Amino acid sequence: MAAAEKLVFMVTHGPDDPELATIPFVMAAAALASDVEVVLGFQADGVRLVHRGEADTVQAPEFPPLARLMADVRELGGTMLVCSPCIKSRGLAAPDDLIEGAEVVAAGRFIAEITSAPNSLVY
Amino acid sequence: MTAITSESELETITADHVIDARGAACPGPLLEAKKAMGGVPLGSVLEIWSTDPVTKTDIGAWSAKVGHEFLGYLAADGYDRVFVVRRK
Repeated sequence: MAAAEKLVFMVTHGPDDPELATIPFVMAAAALASDVEVVLGFQADGVRLVHRGEADTVQAPEFPPLARLMADVRELGGTMLVCSPCIKSRGLAAPDDLIEGAEVVAAGRFIAEITSAPNSLVY
Repeated sequence: MTAITSESELETITADHVIDARGAACPGPLLEAKKAMGGVPLGSVLEIWSTDPVTKTDIGAWSAKVGHEFLGYLAADGYDRVFVVRRK
């Protein structure tokens, strides 16, 4: 059965800001645990978080490791969408550059997800 | 979140499943509770141990959101014992 509620989290910070990189995953995991459908959208430097192996380096003080949270979000069914031009401009567009489950999309898909959710949060 | 069971009543409860989430940072205890709920029958009592002082309010809010019954919590030696009944 589809979730009755939906949230979109736009992630724009990468490993250089561990706290802002981590918090959207905390919120996404909590939302999924609360039976809320979740879409995570990665843009700008946020795309580095779904670059294979890069999340393993992110640890914000007093938060779980990002890699652990990312695994939780994937296990709980979160959708991860990645900005196409953002990965191209960072040289991350090779087939094996991104983690499993990350889907490369363009602006139209982001707009479709955001407009279908009652609320979206930008980090 | 208002607990609906008194401390003296909570003291008498033997949980069906205990989750030791001591030392886990937010949202660890919540995710552990979510995962455990899927493995116990309806009506089962989960007891979550947490050293994070906000877990008790977090679990209370989560229970109300998803339809479980938050019974309350007991302060233990350096951690909280949080009680929830699976209702869905």
